[in-house]
Amino acid sequence: MSGVSLQKVNKIYGSGADSVHAVQDLDLEVSDGEFVALLGPSGCGKTSTLRMIVGLESITSGQILFGDRDISHLDPQDRNVAMAFETYALYPNFTVADNLSFPLEVLGLPAELQRKKTDEIAELLRITDILQAYPPELSGGQQQRVSLGRALIREPSVFILDEVMSHLDAHLKFSMLFDLKRLHRELRRTMIYVTHDQVEALALADRVAVMSNARMQQVGDRNTLYNRPANVFVADFIGEPPTNFFRAEVAYHDHDTIISVMDSDLTLQPGTAAATSLRESQRKEVIAGIRPQNLGFAETAHFLTADVEISEYLGERSMLTVVNGTTRFQAIAPPDLRVNPGTSVRLYYEPLNVMLFDPETETLIA
Amino acid sequence: MAHLEVEGICKGWEFPVIDELSFAVEEGEFFVVLGPSGIGKTTTLRLISGLETPDAGRILIGGTDQTRLPPYRRRIAMTFESYALYPHLSVYENIASPLRARRLPANERDKRVKDVAELLRIAHLLDRRPGEVSGGQKQRTALGRTLVADPEVFLLDEPISHLDAKIRHELRTQFHTLEDLRKVATVYVTHDYAEALSLGDRIGVMGTRGRLEQVGNPRDLFERPANLKVAEHLGQPTINVIPSRIRRDNNGLFLDSETGDLRLKLSGESEAALAGYSKDHVIAGLRPQYIRPIDEAADGMELLSAEVDVYEPLGTNGIMMANLGSMSLTALTDPEKHYETGQKVQIAVDVSGLHLFDADSQVRLTGIT
Amino acid sequence: MNHATGAMTAGGTERTQDAWRHVRYLFLAFLGLWIVFTVFPLYFMTITAFKSAAEANLTVPTFWPQEWQPRNFIGVFDERTNFNALVDSFVIASANTALSLFLGSLAGYAFARFPRQAGGENLAFWILSNRMFPPVAILVPMFFLFDNTPWGTDSHLSLIILYLVFNLPLATWLMMVFFRDAPVEIEEAAYLDGWTPLRAFFKVTLPLVIPGMISVAMLCWIFAWNEYLFANLFVGTAVRTYTIVIPTFTHGSQTLWNFQMAFSLLALIPPVTLFILLRRYMVRGLSLGVVKG
Repeated sequence: MSGVSLQKVNKIYGSGADSVHAVQDLDLEVSDGEFVALLGPSGCGKTSTLRMIVGLESITSGQILFGDRDISHLDPQDRNVAMAFETYALYPNFTVADNLSFPLEVLGLPAELQRKKTDEIAELLRITDILQAYPPELSGGQQQRVSLGRALIREPSVFILDEVMSHLDAHLKFSMLFDLKRLHRELRRTMIYVTHDQVEALALADRVAVMSNARMQQVGDRNTLYNRPANVFVADFIGEPPTNFFRAEVAYHDHDTIISVMDSDLTLQPGTAAATSLRESQRKEVIAGIRPQNLGFAETAHFLTADVEISEYLGERSMLTVVNGTTRFQAIAPPDLRVNPGTSVRLYYEPLNVMLFDPETETLIA
Repeated sequence: MAHLEVEGICKGWEFPVIDELSFAVEEGEFFVVLGPSGIGKTTTLRLISGLETPDAGRILIGGTDQTRLPPYRRRIAMTFESYALYPHLSVYENIASPLRARRLPANERDKRVKDVAELLRIAHLLDRRPGEVSGGQKQRTALGRTLVADPEVFLLDEPISHLDAKIRHELRTQFHTLEDLRKVATVYVTHDYAEALSLGDRIGVMGTRGRLEQVGNPRDLFERPANLKVAEHLGQPTINVIPSRIRRDNNGLFLDSETGDLRLKLSGESEAALAGYSKDHVIAGLRPQYIRPIDEAADGMELLSAEVDVYEPLGTNGIMMANLGSMSLTALTDPEKHYETGQKVQIAVDVSGLHLFDADSQVRLTGIT
Repeated sequence: MNHATGAMTAGGTERTQDAWRHVRYLFLAFLGLWIVFTVFPLYFMTITAFKSAAEANLTVPTFWPQEWQPRNFIGVFDERTNFNALVDSFVIASANTALSLFLGSLAGYAFARFPRQAGGENLAFWILSNRMFPPVAILVPMFFLFDNTPWGTDSHLSLIILYLVFNLPLATWLMMVFFRDAPVEIEEAAYLDGWTPLRAFFKVTLPLVIPGMISVAMLCWIFAWNEYLFANLFVGTAVRTYTIVIPTFTHGSQTLWNFQMAFSLLALIPPVTLFILLRRYMVRGLSLGVVKG
């Protein structure tokens, strides 16, 4: 067992004018036994990163350490890392038991020991009852478990899961998420989960590393990413429905700092810390963000007024799309709310939940 | 008169995919067929469109029987799950295809294609090929091809379920604003209950062999599911299913879980539902949002002690699997809180959200017999 | 301790890299040998075409012409009918290709879209298997068969039809594969757009398989262009293909290697030109680029 440390890792494909900088100065520390999700949209460089950790791709510059062992240039089989893929990649003409024990067979372990380990892992994944079945007879979720089991049986020091759930139905996905989380709790092994789905990432991981444009944007737990996103990208990518963003002008009065949203008559009251920081910098323009979850009907001192355009009933909640001037934004409402399009509503918020970003660099203003 | 009528259609003799399916969609109505994958939803659309012929039953569009009409003689527009765009033609030509098939004059064709592209925000992509645009843009192109056709019936097959969450969200909102869809009859197929609730004027929940378990408006379906299957299909996380016994004593009516770990005093509503029900056993369904971990008990609130099994903090809620003795319950929490496995928590159960189903038939108990 | 581990790791990496280097050299050597093997005949053919008859017949061959004689390329046409032979071959190959493609596409489409009505996978495979038996086995029967047709054996038509025996199974099978890869939903979408099946076929399905058709056309054309065995027996008076002209470059008991090679080189030009022009489509056809969702 060991942690994983990526230090200034770069990956450049090709050379000269056609070269692609797929991963740029990436730093990431995963401590021993931690569960970290590597999250980003497709093409952000997360797959290249994972392939470098596994050893399927060479590193252009930088270092990767497992514990304090530099594995940057080792062959994949010398790294003691296991990987479960998006596609199940099981051998259809082997039984589940044979599929599981195959990596041990390759290592030349005695049959007795193979059997013992297979039983252990099957118990852990709750697939003991299907050990004699063949993969085509299994459901998607079961195949996924067998595939996980085969990766785990070698007892790797680092375990990587690549988009393992993107093929599963929503219901199945949720139960698999819980299973995987239980599994990690029992194994306490270093796990890196690669995904483009923020729900999976937040649900599973102790910490989430958000990548975009070949760079690491932010690493943090759910509350950090939600409440203190490093930049507009993170604020937009994390959270569903996505954050409402407003281009806004700042006016400084004697005591108040007022943010007026362009193309509307909306004003926002920033939190005290943000207001102080704004005053110090005296900036004239900001990008303001507020999450739909943080706009509601519970009365507070501050609200936005807008006309309802779409009211969607979603069962557990409702979602409102509202408009003021040409500015359109969304709010989450209780499911029993019934409003007709065209109705004017007040949406209340706490100043603390107003996020402010620099309009040029798009980074969070403290 | 309904605009689209499906009357007792069957497909497949030995292993019926669709067995006597009937429903009607009014003019201007948005009808959603909701069900898990592989249940026959797509087959239903293919039967309506004429790509397949039913073995029995009739399909009426605008009052005329079109069961035997080939697809190109029907005025039906359909999107495919795979988009089915013509890869060798530009986005413009893809959208223009139905108009070219009808030999519309060039200037009118041009105007309509551009209007639709503008509406769907793909006007800047008209010269590209489908291979050169993103998934969301492909779906918009496919949608454009159906919208431009000015059909009598729209059939939409999982139009947004394969897109990323963000684009899915955006397109779902757009479906609300596309007025063309609200003018004729639309049948929309999905496996995502939130999509169904959001978009449908009425929803049909499809079970095996194309059987409609329940047809109703979104609130009906979610708040008064006709049977356990419907209750389980709608809602994320899935509703807690608690096989229970009914106990009556001097203090009132009680619900005891079979495991003995959960005892709830039933409210008036549940009492009414149980009127005329003679069995001891009942299946209780309780959605996770009615089960919450509580820090401080309010007056008269009954709290239960539980232990956290797994906890997942998501965006709007956290989801907690908690063990109550030998029973496992899913509860919703404030996502900002953090819970560790093994942590002891107090849980409040709101019995007003309880659904009761017949222990054998799993049909909702309404108290009316 | 840490230091020692580091050194060992570095050593291990170097060893692996060394091993890889050796494999690379071995691979390059093999590649070089392969190039010699394939390019040398072409090279020898080319230089022989420029040699004098005497030099081409030397017992110890020269690897560079002592004296360049480009006049060979004109000399081969001293016999006027030799040029006609190239024309005959071209007509036969092109007509056969067109016929193979037309019939093969129709049959292939039927097998791809209506497998049950068209006789199923077995029939399709049986058609392909026609391509597998040795042609020489039917050489004589075919001769008598065609001898009894109104146009006889010594005609364009006889070879155009005869070559269908070999090209049609190939065209049918490959077109079936290409049509099968063209998603049926795209055709269905066209029906729903209001296109009748025939119009949908030409608007949507056919364009999708054109890269495939071009590769099939290439394969058929090259086979028909190069065929010798049947041509040698069937034609020779009214019609002559270029393949049966090549052995005729003799002078008494002596073979005119320089003429033979010059003529062969000229006969190489049409297929090579076609190949270069259509290479782009061939690659696309063989990995049929259909858009995925």
